[in-house]
Amino acid sequence: MAIEDPMRARPRPTAGGVTVAVLLTLAAFLFILPFLYMLSTSLKTVGETIIRVNPFPFHPEFWPSVPQWVNYATAWTTANFSLFFRNSIITAALTVAGLMFTSALAAYAFAKIRFAGSRLVFSIFIATLVIPESVYLIPNFILITRLGWYDTLAGLTVPFMASAFSIFLLRQFFAQLPNELLESARMDGAGHPRLLLSVVLPLSAPPLFTVAFLAFVGSWNSLQWPLVATQTMRWRPITVGLATFVTEAGPQNQLRMAGAMISVLPVVLAYFFAQKQFTEAIARSGIKG
Amino acid sequence: MSGEHASINKAPRRVRSLKSRRDTLAAYMLLSPSALIIGVFGIFPLFFTVYVSLFRWRLARGRFTGVGNFISLFGANPLALVAVCAAVGGAVLAVFLFRHRSSQQRARGVFGGILLALSLAGFAAALPALAAQGDKDVFDALRVTVWYCVCTVPVQLVAGLLLALLLSRPLRGRQAFRVISLMPYIAPTVATAAIFELLFSLRPDSFANQVLRLVGISPLQWLQEPKGVFALIFGGAAQTGATGVIPAYWAAWAQGPSLALIAIVFYSWWVFVGYYALIYINGLAAIPRQLYEAAQMDGAGKLRSLFSITLPLLSPTTYFLTLLGVIGTFKAFTQLYVLRNPAVGSAVDPISVSIFFTAFRKGNMGYAAAVSLLLFVIVLGLTVAQQRTTGSRVSYGD
Repeated sequence: MAIEDPMRARPRPTAGGVTVAVLLTLAAFLFILPFLYMLSTSLKTVGETIIRVNPFPFHPEFWPSVPQWVNYATAWTTANFSLFFRNSIITAALTVAGLMFTSALAAYAFAKIRFAGSRLVFSIFIATLVIPESVYLIPNFILITRLGWYDTLAGLTVPFMASAFSIFLLRQFFAQLPNELLESARMDGAGHPRLLLSVVLPLSAPPLFTVAFLAFVGSWNSLQWPLVATQTMRWRPITVGLATFVTEAGPQNQLRMAGAMISVLPVVLAYFFAQKQFTEAIARSGIKG
Repeated sequence: MSGEHASINKAPRRVRSLKSRRDTLAAYMLLSPSALIIGVFGIFPLFFTVYVSLFRWRLARGRFTGVGNFISLFGANPLALVAVCAAVGGAVLAVFLFRHRSSQQRARGVFGGILLALSLAGFAAALPALAAQGDKDVFDALRVTVWYCVCTVPVQLVAGLLLALLLSRPLRGRQAFRVISLMPYIAPTVATAAIFELLFSLRPDSFANQVLRLVGISPLQWLQEPKGVFALIFGGAAQTGATGVIPAYWAAWAQGPSLALIAIVFYSWWVFVGYYALIYINGLAAIPRQLYEAAQMDGAGKLRSLFSITLPLLSPTTYFLTLLGVIGTFKAFTQLYVLRNPAVGSAVDPISVSIFFTAFRKGNMGYAAAVSLLLFVIVLGLTVAQQRTTGSRVSYGD
């Protein structure tokens, strides 16, 4: 800390202020503790996960005596997390790309074109948001089996390439763009696809980011559908890999925690780099049920 | 919109209809990719579920059974189901009467009160009868779901609000705290649930048991403890004297949620409190500062301002979070799937996990489809009921 400007000196800490600080520090500690536990367990030996344990990170027994970085290599190769990781990346990337495409088109139509049936179609789309995932599970499983999509990338991605929620978010933003912008381009003879591409999309980076981020996290974190739609290791995502993690050698919690770290890292790292946008994106919607 | 409209009106009629027809065509072209996917995977499945539920459907479609699956679900005698529905309908009507009575209409209030009491009594009597003749597993799963909802949502609301209030004053490191408080919500559920599986394991050296030891409590079974918490605390007392259908059913409720479920409830708090706080912070930011200044001038203390300004003006946020939380707990799957231990049987299986196992472990898709329709009706009912009852009381600021 530099020398404080006497004019802008902080007021003396009050009892209330200290209480607030203590409470918040305690809360932050509770939020972060399980992550520290995951980190420390992922670096222990099998034996240490059982006998060298302590609930408090200040205590040396909370941590391994010698960090076993080899656990990550083992999880990555032997426990197949490299394959799961790659599958999750491909699945999420395809889903996000497809979703952005369909949602941008639909949101533009709802926001900027007057057409017969606009309200009706929009309400039908929105109504699908009430339906719990468990209700989709059985019919969609039968459907992708009939389509020959069982245990394929198509079965994992295509059903999620459109979402009423993404359309709704983008439409809200597109509707705020002034119509004069579009009208002048229209006078020059531009059609709707052209207007969307060269006028609307360049002005919509923040909401597009929001939708992409929410879709990525949703896809990366999903478990129920991939559990149903995959059978072999071919396209099994990291969530299913973690949930069904069993080794021949019995419970290898250090490897499981290393796998958990690998699945947490991309999301949390991305979050650190773009906190502000992420916080706003999350505030706009629930990404978890 | 208005600008566009004006320019259209100036054009001759034929050009205008041509343009609007071309616009309509373009709009439907743009909608077609989403409409195709949402139609095939979002709307069609709802009707297809109804179809599947009418069959004995294992790996492939089997015999048509009509309402057979629903008879295994609710029992052969439709009277109990009708009684439960009537009781719920009566309670909804009673609440409606209460909310829409003016000061002159005291009769309405009295009638509403009698109706509500009758409905609740009817519900208390009819539900055990329905559960007794219906599928025990499903009704147990419903009880788990309700406990999970009741134990998580109110606590998350209060804790989230408290955190938001603490964070609303200028403070060093506020942004860092916000980032930390959202990490549990962002991280993949499977990974964080796997951590809690270790934290709340039955080993005497597990995190939870070591903390218990610090306060002098002997180790617990946590995620492997199917016994209800009330039954654990008060011994078997809650179970005694429960004979007859109705007392036996409510005695099962009286044992409380299983300790295993409570461990999952802790997980839910950990995940969602930061998210609730974030939404509340946004709600707090929307309250005009002048209101507080005016209240201060009138001599209102901080506590008075909290109850007279902050809480009423936050009611839309609270309403939104309650709706999200209740529906979310009825849909919740991942954490309950990961944290369920085979040792506790179905003690922590909510309705969503029960549907999953019925369909994909036991391979009984027709029946699972019927159960999923029950879940759908409950979630839909909750959404509508909450909108009708809370909706008018919510303050939207101006």
